[in-house]
Amino acid sequence: MKIKRDQITGLALILIGIIIAVMVNQFKVPFSVSYPGPKALPMIAVAGFVICGAGIFIESTKSTKEEQVFLLKEGWIRVLISMVILAVYIFAMKFVGYLIATPVACYILTTLYAKGSNTTLKGRLLYTVILTLAVYVIYVFAFGLGLPSGELFG
Amino acid sequence: MISYLPYILGEVANPMNLALLLVGNVIGMIFGAIPGLSGTLAVMLLMPLTYSMQTGAAIIFLLSLWVGGCSGGFIGSVLLGIPGSPSSVATCFDGYPMAMAGKAGKALAIGMVASFLGTFFSAIAGAFLSQTIASIAFELGPWEYAGLCFVAITMVLAISKGNMFKGLASACIGLLFASVGFSPIDAEPRFVFDNMYLMGGLGMTVVLIGIFGVSSIVLAYGKGFDPLPEVDTKSIKGLGITLSEIMENIVNIVRSWVIGLVIGFLPGMGAGLSNLVAYSAAKNASKTPELFGKGNPEGLWASECSNNAAVGGSMIPMAALGIPGDSTTALLIGALTIHGLEMGPMVFRNSGNIVYLMFFVVALCAIVCLVLQALGMRTFPKILKVPYHYMYPALLIISFMSAYVDSSSLYKCGMMLFFAAVGILMAFGGLPTSPLILAFILGPTLESNMLKAFQNTGTASTFFTRPISCVFMIIGIGCVFSPILKTLYAKMKQKRSVQ
Repeated sequence: MKIKRDQITGLALILIGIIIAVMVNQFKVPFSVSYPGPKALPMIAVAGFVICGAGIFIESTKSTKEEQVFLLKEGWIRVLISMVILAVYIFAMKFVGYLIATPVACYILTTLYAKGSNTTLKGRLLYTVILTLAVYVIYVFAFGLGLPSGELFG
Repeated sequence: MISYLPYILGEVANPMNLALLLVGNVIGMIFGAIPGLSGTLAVMLLMPLTYSMQTGAAIIFLLSLWVGGCSGGFIGSVLLGIPGSPSSVATCFDGYPMAMAGKAGKALAIGMVASFLGTFFSAIAGAFLSQTIASIAFELGPWEYAGLCFVAITMVLAISKGNMFKGLASACIGLLFASVGFSPIDAEPRFVFDNMYLMGGLGMTVVLIGIFGVSSIVLAYGKGFDPLPEVDTKSIKGLGITLSEIMENIVNIVRSWVIGLVIGFLPGMGAGLSNLVAYSAAKNASKTPELFGKGNPEGLWASECSNNAAVGGSMIPMAALGIPGDSTTALLIGALTIHGLEMGPMVFRNSGNIVYLMFFVVALCAIVCLVLQALGMRTFPKILKVPYHYMYPALLIISFMSAYVDSSSLYKCGMMLFFAAVGILMAFGGLPTSPLILAFILGPTLESNMLKAFQNTGTASTFFTRPISCVFMIIGIGCVFSPILKTLYAKMKQKRSVQ
């Protein structure tokens, strides 16, 4: 039997609820009927996770409707690649700063997203440089905000 | 009020002040339109410039930034599907689908007119009602505030009608995120993992842009980009909207305006909440609720009218009680203190001219914004002509820089990426994002008022023994169970018709 997406969602919510409940139980201020304290809000969330998770799971199990495919395998790979590039971009900014990390990340993303479109290397490079400098000028010079300078240069 | 008119007209007729108003509106609109920036940020960044200005000029400049920011928020929501600010989250729901269906011009026109109506009339209402309404607010205690938050969260579940469990689960995720950091009253560290960046709680910019913005861009790439939409600009004539179209939506406009004004008036709750509540109210009242989220103009009217009505609404407690209606009015109170103005009940007696100047400037800014947006409306849809492979990397970079400037830390950028992943997983599970955002925004207010209420009486029964609080609780409980009751009623009706 193929497991449905909503069944996974329901089970994941129940699991998250249990984990959060364990964490909430470690809070020092006790819960009481006369004063629920800091446990109240997260415990409302826990109750919601467990009830809704069970509800979603049961509804999905009962349902005979075919689920639509959310993303194909290639789609998930593209999502993963985007996320990895962004994670590396953030990591790179820590060391080399905005002015070096951004054009590299921007060029990679533009090239990746432009796959199948009519773009030239020159156009993408030009766009990358203009975008990087425009954001820098607006943030740093126009509004006096600081952008990452990088540990290697800062 | 009339006696202050010569002073007010003298201030706004000053060429320098008029120039400040115009510049402030334009800057505010740009900030409002760009995801991650907002009118609040514009006020925050440019406030130091006003310290050397005269009081009237400072007020005109700061208010024009704020109104411009609120008014311009719909531009990003409609054209990019990414809210320019929390106040225009619900605008995305129908504004963006309209733009994708080639009706960007119409969506912009609705946003523009709704923004004008919301702001202009809320400023007038604020000027007339501020003293009277402020006295009513003295009657509200933590029970009422907690009850109101409860109603607001449960009402928005209507947005996820069809699957209450998913809507409720999304709201619970929002409550969980709102719990991060030191708890109110007891200062208990929750889910901070000894991390200093988590102790102050999760920033709204990081959560909002991560879940709404970054995740949608990454998912769009995963699903494959749609062809660029054809933008209907030739059909735009005049404002791009007729009086009869406004009249067709008049009930929706008035209802949303009232919601915006009332929510804006309540301390701590502003346009960020009003747009979602008005949207769900419009959906509930609509004859075609199934079209909401697919480009229904009713949703756009509701969201934009209410979030701008919150401007005038939030000025009422600011002026009359010295209590900020939202984060921007909190900044304004600080700026006015530097100019020697102490907001509160006494301000009407000591500096009534300043108070009414504020309301007048907001109304004037609404007109200026309408004119500026009408003139620039044909240029806005051109943003859609920008290819995805150029627009999306730019948006991603601006989003991460917004997270960075929030606390001058790359840690926030990492957190934004985490929330983008949360947004992707929520999309996978079919969980709607708006209940999460609402619960996240309202969570701290709900919790602190709930705990204060328990501190005062030590029992939950007071929530039901105080009349206003009791009404809120009944409405909230009714909202939670209404989908179940509706389903049961529909089944019973079906059974009867079969028999």
